[in-house]
Amino acid sequence: MVSLFRPSKTSPRLERLHQLSLFVNLTPAELQIVDGLLHERDFLDGEVIFDEGEEGQAIYIIASGEVLISRHEHWDAARAAPAGGNDPAVSHPRRRQGDSGRVAQLGPGTFFGELALLDDSPRSAQARAASPCQLIVFFRDDFVGLLDTHARIASKISRQLARHLGARMRDMALTVGAYHHLL
Amino acid sequence: MSAAIDSPEPGQRSNHGSGPVVWAAIIATTCLLLLVFQKMLWLVVPFLLALILYYFLYPPVKLLIYRGMSRDAASTLVTLGFLALLLVLGIALTPWLTAQLADKNVSRYVEGGLQLLDNSLRSIEAHWPTLAGARLADTVAARLAQGAGTVADHLEPVAIGIMAWAPSLMLAPFLAFFFLRDGRRFKRFLSAAVPNAFFEKTLYLLHEIDRTARAYFMGLISLTVLDTLTLAAGLWALGIPGPLALGLICAVLAWVPYVGSILGGLLVVLVAATDFPDAPGMAYWAIALFVGVRLLDDFVYMPLTIGKSLELHPLVTVLMIFVGGAVAGISGLMLVLPVLGVVMVIGETIGLIVTDPRLMARHRHALALRRQQASSDL
Repeated sequence: MVSLFRPSKTSPRLERLHQLSLFVNLTPAELQIVDGLLHERDFLDGEVIFDEGEEGQAIYIIASGEVLISRHEHWDAARAAPAGGNDPAVSHPRRRQGDSGRVAQLGPGTFFGELALLDDSPRSAQARAASPCQLIVFFRDDFVGLLDTHARIASKISRQLARHLGARMRDMALTVGAYHHLL
Repeated sequence: MSAAIDSPEPGQRSNHGSGPVVWAAIIATTCLLLLVFQKMLWLVVPFLLALILYYFLYPPVKLLIYRGMSRDAASTLVTLGFLALLLVLGIALTPWLTAQLADKNVSRYVEGGLQLLDNSLRSIEAHWPTLAGARLADTVAARLAQGAGTVADHLEPVAIGIMAWAPSLMLAPFLAFFFLRDGRRFKRFLSAAVPNAFFEKTLYLLHEIDRTARAYFMGLISLTVLDTLTLAAGLWALGIPGPLALGLICAVLAWVPYVGSILGGLLVVLVAATDFPDAPGMAYWAIALFVGVRLLDDFVYMPLTIGKSLELHPLVTVLMIFVGGAVAGISGLMLVLPVLGVVMVIGETIGLIVTDPRLMARHRHALALRRQQASSDL
């Protein structure tokens, strides 16, 4: 009976999951539980993964290939206008000259759509495969289920998520020159 | 590195809910499924029992998995543990059950009920001379004596029925074991077959079906507890022996709407009439209590527990119970709410996907990309 509760042996798949920053703190047994919740999807170059404005249901982790994140121009202007007034640096905080709506191009090991784990707000950008890619999908309600049943695992993932969001906020603050609020 | 790309944006959502066409399709599909299920009860009943067992056994399986056990081992251990518990209970209860039947308790309660009926009819005849002229009590007594036979005559078909259903019912723990072990694989298998454009919506759909089924069975358990407590309190107030056991038996029988309630009511009246032969008023009070609890159950408890768990309007819940009974009889009464709950989730989600032009356009685009890739070197 005792041998039934031995720590799970790791497999190449679990090792690959362990290398992803979101799951870096999980033990093999915890990874095995999370692995049971993950889905894999293949996308072709140019295929839309999700659209801007669509309700977010899942976070995507790139196993292989590249993903382009882009936004419509009117979107940035509409969201920044009430707060930023006429200051061009504030009204287009994420865009650089020549991007024409492009926010980022992400590679293997990175993830996107992470706020979908926290709420059911609409996606604020489009994700499109920039090359043939394989994505790992973590569904929001499975994460919510983890919070109820395996709080330890969920807290480890939440901590990684919080670290990641903190780093992003710091980057954004540096871009607009308001970093003193975030020190 | 990654991109945070989900921030709230007002005015982007277009969830209009289900229209009358979708709802008509949901109700029609529910009725059609009830008709089909009525023809294959040998599979539907063990499947339903297996689902109840699955939701009952799932928490200990999850606990063992978290403790480091594999899903296969945890499912096997919990299922075997449950079967062992059943076996122990069966061995412990069989002598008691045999003793009850051997003591002719069943005959005693049936005779008590017949005596109550006879007394009631004679009492009515004493007040209504027209009925006394028709000799109603004598006619009913003669017909019952002619058609009733011995208790053994009635027990025999019941025993044969149980034996005929036994192999089918033994499927339930077997199915529950595979639900526990492979349920997640089945979910992944289903979602893998869905095109990328509809993937997130399908994940949501599968989750909602699971949530609906779980909510239904949890609602059923709440309903059983409420029924048991209300009946037990009423029977205790009347002074009828074994109020909690009687209340529980009646509450479980009430899983079959209306028919189960009538059987439960009959049971309570038989007990009251037999244990209080000199106080016929007790049986009438038991009938009044039972009718009251049934009304409370069908129009308050059921819409509040099962109906609420399925997020159905109380009026729709009550109407659909009648529709289920009319379409597929007793099996329809039993199955209508869980079937409606699942069909409702599927119907609403398909309605949302099919009427979303952007999702359909993305799907066509993905198909075009796949065709292009397949023929690129031709």
